[in-house]
Amino acid sequence: MAHIVIDTCGGREAGAEALEAAAIASLQLDHQLTLVGDETELTGKLARIAHDAERLRVAHAGDPVDPDQPLRVALAARNSVTVGLELLARDPAAVFISAGPPGLIVGAALRTLGRIPSVGHAALAAVYPTLRPHGPASDPFALLLDVGATVQCSSEDLVTFAAMGAAYASKISSIERPRVALLSNGTATAGAPPRVRDAHRRLLQGPPGFEYVGCLRADHVTSGDADVIVTDGFTGDVLLRTLEGIAATGELLIKRAAERFQWRLGVQMLGDGIAAIREFTDWENYGGAPLLGVDRAVIVTQANSGRRAFLNAIRLGVKIDRLQVLAAVATGVAALRSKEA
Amino acid sequence: MNGHDEHDEHDEHDEHDEHDEHDEHDEHDEHDEHDEHDEPKQAPTPATELISEDLTPDEAATEELTPEVAPPKVISPEVISPEVVSPEVVSPGAITPTQVAPRRLVHLRWDLDKTYLQTNFDSVKDLVKTFWQKPEDKATVAGAQALLQSLMDPADRPNRRVTFISGSPRQMRKVLMRKLCLDGVEPDMFILKPNLENLLRGRFRALRGQVGYKLKALLLSHMAAEAVDEYLFGDDAEQDAFIYSLYADILSGQVDAVRMAAILTTCKVYRHDVDEIMAYHKQLAGSGDVVRRIFIHLDRRSPLDRFAAYGARVVAIYNYFQCAVLLFDAGLLSARGLVGVLAAMAAAGYTPERVANSVQDLMRRGFVQPPAIAKISEALDEAERTADPPAERPARYFMQKFEEVVAGLSELTRSPPPWELDINYLGLYHEARFHRQQHRWLGIRLLD
Repeated sequence: MAHIVIDTCGGREAGAEALEAAAIASLQLDHQLTLVGDETELTGKLARIAHDAERLRVAHAGDPVDPDQPLRVALAARNSVTVGLELLARDPAAVFISAGPPGLIVGAALRTLGRIPSVGHAALAAVYPTLRPHGPASDPFALLLDVGATVQCSSEDLVTFAAMGAAYASKISSIERPRVALLSNGTATAGAPPRVRDAHRRLLQGPPGFEYVGCLRADHVTSGDADVIVTDGFTGDVLLRTLEGIAATGELLIKRAAERFQWRLGVQMLGDGIAAIREFTDWENYGGAPLLGVDRAVIVTQANSGRRAFLNAIRLGVKIDRLQVLAAVATGVAALRSKEA
Repeated sequence: MNGHDEHDEHDEHDEHDEHDEHDEHDEHDEHDEHDEHDEPKQAPTPATELISEDLTPDEAATEELTPEVAPPKVISPEVISPEVVSPEVVSPGAITPTQVAPRRLVHLRWDLDKTYLQTNFDSVKDLVKTFWQKPEDKATVAGAQALLQSLMDPADRPNRRVTFISGSPRQMRKVLMRKLCLDGVEPDMFILKPNLENLLRGRFRALRGQVGYKLKALLLSHMAAEAVDEYLFGDDAEQDAFIYSLYADILSGQVDAVRMAAILTTCKVYRHDVDEIMAYHKQLAGSGDVVRRIFIHLDRRSPLDRFAAYGARVVAIYNYFQCAVLLFDAGLLSARGLVGVLAAMAAAGYTPERVANSVQDLMRRGFVQPPAIAKISEALDEAERTADPPAERPARYFMQKFEEVVAGLSELTRSPPPWELDINYLGLYHEARFHRQQHRWLGIRLLD
């Protein structure tokens, strides 16, 4: 049985939707849930919605999370992120889910939790939809890491990220030998920065547990040629935001098209197809980005996550616990190190 | 058993014949009927006369059906409770669980389906299945049997009464009695709903409606002993919180006749039942504030706010350990009884986390304070150490979880919720009706 620790101070409607997702999970899933936030406020809100108190517990965190606060001050406060991560540190079976500021979550996680042996930096791994399905379960999502945890990476970090991402994908998407690529500005490494060139050279030596398919340009990211794409935190974050921005723009264009009567008819006729695309590209279906490299499961969801996003994050957390994903990630990194040695 | 059943049926028919005409008028011409009912009616036999220690459940139920032929059996308070406490008028707000004297006569009133038994009658198929289910196949709600057995411990039995008032049809009495017998529970009274009678007389509203039936049964079986504490157990599938609170307020004199009549009319109770209830109201209104707690088992996991309007007297519970904790705090349940409930719940698959979560829930709602949890832990420890034979599952692990829960919230002080002195029953009825209609037409919304 997994123990899901949910930060109820982040997400849509000041955390109300995170609370609702937890309440639904308490009614539908047989797992222990701990809500972190202001106890008085949470108890009052819980009384208004159906939930199963046998599966819910509240941990009090009196200080608010302020995104504008300096990281040092936020890390010293008793806010929902720091208290939640303390709970996580005490329970190896726990999974922490938060829509708080990613910088604070990563900073607090690195300070409070232990690291997987021989991992220098942590990586946030986000999933995004691709044209080609992945694995035996035809998973439409591919993994992109890092998307913001480590802004400046070395080649060592990129190789480690590749091993961690591959181990994660092999468990979550049941892919026996995931195809891993490095994000670059071309398939040749001549124009790539030194860290990418070096990582490329090391990965070409045949890493254990995954297949290295070389460098991949950004326009091929959504093709599905690779199951895992590795990059540094800065580039990954920019790429992910670009993909989300394009999806949001497409959505907006469809809405605008419906302003004219003839176009509205067309949109109506294409309704099912548009709904399918919307479903396919909706980030709320992804379930958040796991933070890989720490010895506990941490899932970071978007700041404006709603009920569905949190529910999917909870399901992802349960899956991570059930499939022992963190142990697999540690094994993957250890295998890489022993091969390199 | 069969003999009793036949007798019941016979009595039922006698009663039907007497009131058939009235009911027809109920359906067709209410105004005319008002005039008819203006003439004085014979008041039903006082409830005091119907309760006896010697009554078997069947006899009790038989007498419930035929109040006019019941021999008057008045029990003096001395016989019921040798250590009876003189009745004192205590305002509901002033009552706290710890102030209740433990040796008073305690009357436990239980609903059956979804409160004591795990019953599913949401569809016709389920209803039929339930009807034909064998006694040994009927399952109890985790911890309910252990709790009831602990409350009816032989040492306390002379001071305890237990009544079951169920919406199940009378035809199920044999099966249900057999089930209770298998569970080692011996009720003093067992009242079932005359559904066949209602069907034959075309009283279709009464088939589903509970207010008229349960209120009448509660008032009829009320013990007018001077020192009695009543604890009522129901669930959120029906209107138990509403009916039980109304009953409690009738006894404490909070609901006058005019308001009572308005409530019954709004609840669409049949005139025949209204007349009977009003007669009981006349006799029992203001007879004593005896209802100490109303426990509502959240079988449907309804939002807690739905019961907030009833005040602290109504405690919505997720499981029977919560109930056991409150009864232990009130001095009604022994530490061994608490261990028994815990053991039964562990056997039903409850993990220490789930139990600790429910204890925390009580704490957060202000029903239990952190010192009480420490007291419970001590009592569990003591009971486990002195258990013979030793408890199968050590309570130590549960206690450890309780302490974790308390440690997390020890700095927070939560005052118990207020006792509601003036419950707006009409408003609550309409609100519940609105919810039901919304569910019927729009489906049950998530988290509603």
